[in-house]
Amino acid sequence: MKRAGWYLVAGVVAGFGGVLGLHGGGTAAPALVGQPKPGGTAAAAPSGSPSAAGPARSAGPAARQGSATGQARSATGAVVQYGYGELSVAVTVHGNQITAVSVPLLRTAEPYSQQLAQQVIPMLRSEVLAVHSAQIHGVSGATYTSEAYARSIQSALDKLHVR
Amino acid sequence: MGYESVVAPRSRQGRKRPQALPEPRRPRPALARAGLVVAGAGLGAVTALAITDETLAELRAPGGAATFLGSLTGLVGMYLALLMVLLVSRIPAIERVLGQDGLLRWHRRLAPWPISLLIAHALFIIVGYAQAARAGLGHQVAVLLTRYPDVLIATIGLAIMCIIGILSIRAIRRRLRRETWWLIHLYMYLALALSFAHVLALGPSFVGHPLTQLVWSVAWAATAGLVLCYRFGLPVARTLRHRLVVHEVRQEGPGVVSVICSGRNLDKLSVTGGQFFFWRFLTRSMWWQAHPYTLSALPQPPYMRLTVKAVGDHSAAVARLRPGTRIAVEGPYGAFTKFAQQRPQALLVAAGIGVTALRSLLEDMPRNSAPVVLLRGTRPEDLVLRKEVAELVRYRRGRLHELVGTREQALLDERSLPRLVPDLHRRDIYVCGPEGFVTSIVDLAARLEIPAEAVHHEAYAL
Repeated sequence: MKRAGWYLVAGVVAGFGGVLGLHGGGTAAPALVGQPKPGGTAAAAPSGSPSAAGPARSAGPAARQGSATGQARSATGAVVQYGYGELSVAVTVHGNQITAVSVPLLRTAEPYSQQLAQQVIPMLRSEVLAVHSAQIHGVSGATYTSEAYARSIQSALDKLHVR
Repeated sequence: MGYESVVAPRSRQGRKRPQALPEPRRPRPALARAGLVVAGAGLGAVTALAITDETLAELRAPGGAATFLGSLTGLVGMYLALLMVLLVSRIPAIERVLGQDGLLRWHRRLAPWPISLLIAHALFIIVGYAQAARAGLGHQVAVLLTRYPDVLIATIGLAIMCIIGILSIRAIRRRLRRETWWLIHLYMYLALALSFAHVLALGPSFVGHPLTQLVWSVAWAATAGLVLCYRFGLPVARTLRHRLVVHEVRQEGPGVVSVICSGRNLDKLSVTGGQFFFWRFLTRSMWWQAHPYTLSALPQPPYMRLTVKAVGDHSAAVARLRPGTRIAVEGPYGAFTKFAQQRPQALLVAAGIGVTALRSLLEDMPRNSAPVVLLRGTRPEDLVLRKEVAELVRYRRGRLHELVGTREQALLDERSLPRLVPDLHRRDIYVCGPEGFVTSIVDLAARLEIPAEAVHHEAYAL
């Protein structure tokens, strides 16, 4: 066939561009604030800066230096499915400040995700305790896990009416 | 009632044909071009899919780069495997344009790519996951095989693909019987079926992306449907509809026989001159092989004729067929037809048994088309069907040249061919015969600066 190559190339360009365009539309609003930080420096995120990149969450307030007085209240956030598994996070607050975080439920599709989650959850916990909110950056290489973690904590905080 | 090759009355335009044959379907090149664009679009889409699902941060994570390459090679490799299946699914609209031999050529040319990409995919994934989990490679392989869903069967599928790939290397394939190679090759369907599940379960482009999963699944289901329909369903339906049986076996020359078959509803079978079928003669020794033989005349309902030269076990057994033997057919296939012709006149060149395609092609040519026909053979008795060809050519006011003798005696080269055919550059060239002969004529045409689109060839590979 004459010029078969050109038809093929035209198709490749069209398909490539089409999928890129579709993806640019974006999926559900990410729960994470901006780009996940590399693992080692997870706790270094400055607490007061609302990151412009995260669309739905960027309007969040800066972390409050709330008083640690008041009764301890706990709630467990919603179970969030993240494709490779599901988890839920439990949160304890004193007044308005998060004092304890734990993961009562973690189920993964396969061992790699399990390993990953186990490595990453302690880092996420430190980040949450440092910024005193669910507005975390997450851990790179574990975007889905971090997002699910953030969402679950936010739902726990909502239950406790902590803003 | 016997079969007489009714040459003269059929070719008379003014008279009605004994039984009107259906108009053969025209090939539509636009469909093939559209198919190319769609195939390219799929390739671009799959590549974009692999790329857009990565973030820069994920790439920098341990094992990130290798896992990304694993995902990319896996997606593109599986997509190309899908294309490979489509190429040999015998979709009529595509087959009419490219011809079965053209499709097989593309299939063979594309073949190394999906296999290489999928092997690379396996290696990248092992390395990437091992880096992320900070485990050794050997341990990671064991983990992947035992604790990840569907990876074990996918690995078996990949192993089958590799075996098939190795056996298809020309040097090795030559040592196998054609049927053995063919049967093993069919396991490719199984290999692909085994590999399907792990893509949806583990691929980052698919996990949590129901739309992507749907599109991928539909593409594979549609391909499976096309294969079932056009590779198996349609041939079975045609066989049952026409119920061909061997009517008579006639000697045409040394080692050459014509098999005349009779069947039902042959007036509904749409065949163009030059096309072939895969013939499966249902005897105890031959039922499991299907061999391609060209029709040596257009169907004359209720009869159809093929002419076969004994060069191997199967073709030798054809000469011993008994009348009443039932036949299963697949076809008609082939783009070596009048539809390929672009110029008003044609030169037909055939050697040995290649005359069969030529003979039925001639029947399709109109009265004043003045074709030039060159028949090449070592001895005069090797020019089978020459009387029919001579009659057909004479009726069309053409010229027939019989070139008998050794290759040196009846030389066809840059000087002799233009001398025989002075208006060579105004004709389309059809050449048919053994592979060596066809290649030499095609090369000769190229040396004489005849454009490649004007040369149509069908080589009988044994």
